[in-house]
Amino acid sequence: MAGFILRRLLSTIPTLLGVLTIVFVMIRVAPGDPALAILGDNASQEALDAFRERMGLNDPMWVQYLDFLRGIARGSLGESMISGTPVLTSILEVLPYTLELALGAVFFGVVIGTPLGIMAALKRNGWLDYLLRVVSLVGLSFPAFLTAILLILWLAIDWRLFPVISTPTGGIGDRLYNLFLPALSLGLIMVAYVMRTARSAMLDVLGEDYIRTARAKGAPMRRLFLHHALRNALIPIVTVIGLYFGLMIGNAVLTEIIFNRPGLGKLIVLALNQRDYSTLQGLMVFSAFLVVMVNLLTDIAYGLVDPRVKLK
Amino acid sequence: MKFLNATALSVLLATSALTTDLHAQELTMAVSAQSAGQLDPHVSTRTEDKIVFGMVFNGLVRFAPGSMSGEDIEPDLAESWETSEDGLVWTFHLRQGVQFHGGYGEMTAADVVYSLTRAADPDRSGVSSDYTQFASVEALDDYTVQITLAEGIPSLLGVVANYHGGNIVSARAAEEMGENFHTNPIGTGPFAFDELAEGQFVRLVANPDYFRGAPEIDSITIRYISSASARDLAFQTGELDMIAGTREDRWVTNMTETGEAVVDVFEPGELRTLHINAAMPPFDDIRVRQAVAHAVNREELVAFMGASVARANEAPVPDGYLGHNADVTFLAYDPERARELLAEAGYPDGITVPVAITERASLFAPMQVLQAQLAAAGINVELEVMEHSAWHAAIRDDVSSMVLYGAARFPVADTYLTQFYHSDSIVNTPTAVTNFSHCDVADDQIVQARSEADMDMQMALWADAQQAIVDEVCSIPLFELLQVFARSPDVDLGYELEGSLSLGPVITEQSTLAD
Repeated sequence: MAGFILRRLLSTIPTLLGVLTIVFVMIRVAPGDPALAILGDNASQEALDAFRERMGLNDPMWVQYLDFLRGIARGSLGESMISGTPVLTSILEVLPYTLELALGAVFFGVVIGTPLGIMAALKRNGWLDYLLRVVSLVGLSFPAFLTAILLILWLAIDWRLFPVISTPTGGIGDRLYNLFLPALSLGLIMVAYVMRTARSAMLDVLGEDYIRTARAKGAPMRRLFLHHALRNALIPIVTVIGLYFGLMIGNAVLTEIIFNRPGLGKLIVLALNQRDYSTLQGLMVFSAFLVVMVNLLTDIAYGLVDPRVKLK
Repeated sequence: MKFLNATALSVLLATSALTTDLHAQELTMAVSAQSAGQLDPHVSTRTEDKIVFGMVFNGLVRFAPGSMSGEDIEPDLAESWETSEDGLVWTFHLRQGVQFHGGYGEMTAADVVYSLTRAADPDRSGVSSDYTQFASVEALDDYTVQITLAEGIPSLLGVVANYHGGNIVSARAAEEMGENFHTNPIGTGPFAFDELAEGQFVRLVANPDYFRGAPEIDSITIRYISSASARDLAFQTGELDMIAGTREDRWVTNMTETGEAVVDVFEPGELRTLHINAAMPPFDDIRVRQAVAHAVNREELVAFMGASVARANEAPVPDGYLGHNADVTFLAYDPERARELLAEAGYPDGITVPVAITERASLFAPMQVLQAQLAAAGINVELEVMEHSAWHAAIRDDVSSMVLYGAARFPVADTYLTQFYHSDSIVNTPTAVTNFSHCDVADDQIVQARSEADMDMQMALWADAQQAIVDEVCSIPLFELLQVFARSPDVDLGYELEGSLSLGPVITEQSTLAD
């Protein structure tokens, strides 16, 4: 197991290096100027020049690139050009909010999606099945920002149940209250994915020989379902959760902006608009690393759910 | 039973009185930005940071709250001042006993010398060009500061007022914190910096030792919300007490009609000007530039933006600025004449020009109206829509044949004329600022006016400069867009808001928030 994890980690190095290089080049090719973004549009030319010099933006590109790689090799993501805080500090500061949001979304996705998917499978081709399939198709086609806006309109403006601006501070109660709407709006996409996967996984399993055998042996429906079918159907569901957890972090960008929640997504957009090269680079490295880790954890989770999967 | 009721009532009253007493007055406002920039008044000139500076810092003098007129400049950290006859030596007598926030001690002449020297240093300041004529700033004693100028400048009081470089910072704090000063700014204002959550908010708390008296409001949270609809919704639900508005008639009407908002429309007007790049053919021919001027219909533009927030302006310097020329002669709307001029210049079939424009509605929307107006006169504009900061970079690289730009500056003609029309400021040069048109016809008047001691003469020079710029059609000044905020009726600013160089309703020690 340890060997497996180590090998997997080592194999991520070329991927990360590729991501680093692409990010480094792309944000420099994109037009825009951090000095202007920071000092404002009527800053004097000499002040702009002094700023660029201070930030090393006048160095040749390859010098900047080597500096950047050297920093990464030392385990440092650098410091924000705007605020001067270490990028890792900024990331770690907001990471819990994004994780909280993604976990909340996954929670809604699993709790709502799995039972619905299973119900649809059990009532295959019944009206419920058709209804749920249509609903999930609609869910998949709905962009996250649209659901977020609709939820705000209904639950925050018309009924005034939740705040428009989600501020993740205060006690656990406050935090959950503020998390509810964003997590639900993000989770609704997840519901659609989970439901479809759960349905087809359940259908697959229900068609297996051992289920027929168990049924022939007269196993009660409850036991048949909980003991024999569900556990096997869970594998694809776990995969989907793992895969989409990464996707949720990506989708969190829009949700965070609409609800004005702090988080990785908000940080990325902010850094992008301010042309804060160092923060952007650090964020991309971090996100790439995160995706790799989630994939790794998914693989490990397979082993736990299905003993046949050997981690070599 | 009656007794019980009476007791219950008195208990209720007592507790409610108690809670009102204990209830902290917390004001939350939202401005249109994604995050605070650098909260150092000498560094950032960003719109969203100005309102913070307006509450945390003081200058030697200040524009009275709610005004941005030079006539309303009044003592702030300096109680009085005098000037030498030639206007080159200024002596300021400081107020005694003013304390910096966070226990940084008494504000003295040393802090003033430090601050003004810092503001003039391009390595530590974004506004250093305002102070190039400062020969020396000296402390004569703990409470007396003397400024000596190398040459006269249009408004010395302006550059030592509570605006950008004129804000006085604590020398000890700035030295101790160095580059981190902008995340923990220390001033003397009615509110002290408390907390910065990047991408979210800045929190200020009342400064109980403020020299004009402790503020009524206990804390101010300034949230950064770039989406106008998110601000509006959160304002409607009462999560926000004050918001930056959308500069459109429709928005002002809708907000006013809710009956739950006071809408403030105030100066400065941001002048929208169409700069024409004379270095780029076909605009090197003045007849083509004149054709553009004749094709533009200001009335229609103002009607499009809305009369409650916009007003037409034909002069290169905005209305309300010292030196604005209200009597400038300009080329009136006449699309027929525009076509004739184009034909004379050798373009009987009209012209097609590429123009870069930001995706932000405040410029993009009027640009689309202009595009239609120009097309009617045979000038086809191919818009290249760009992300905002990419656009800022592109127009400074001198790649657009026309630049629609909006700006509010320090309200003295010199600032606007120098930055937009002096040849030193031409973009893509080492001394560049924002001269997008390559205009160079008013250099002499601009320079002379700066050090002209005779006020009438100075005004005449500025008027002359503006006429020369209009005659050369360096640019076509179009209309001014005023500042718009909405606040809950519970918020009483404590002053009449007519103008604000902080570009927002600054909360003072006298502002209150009803429960």
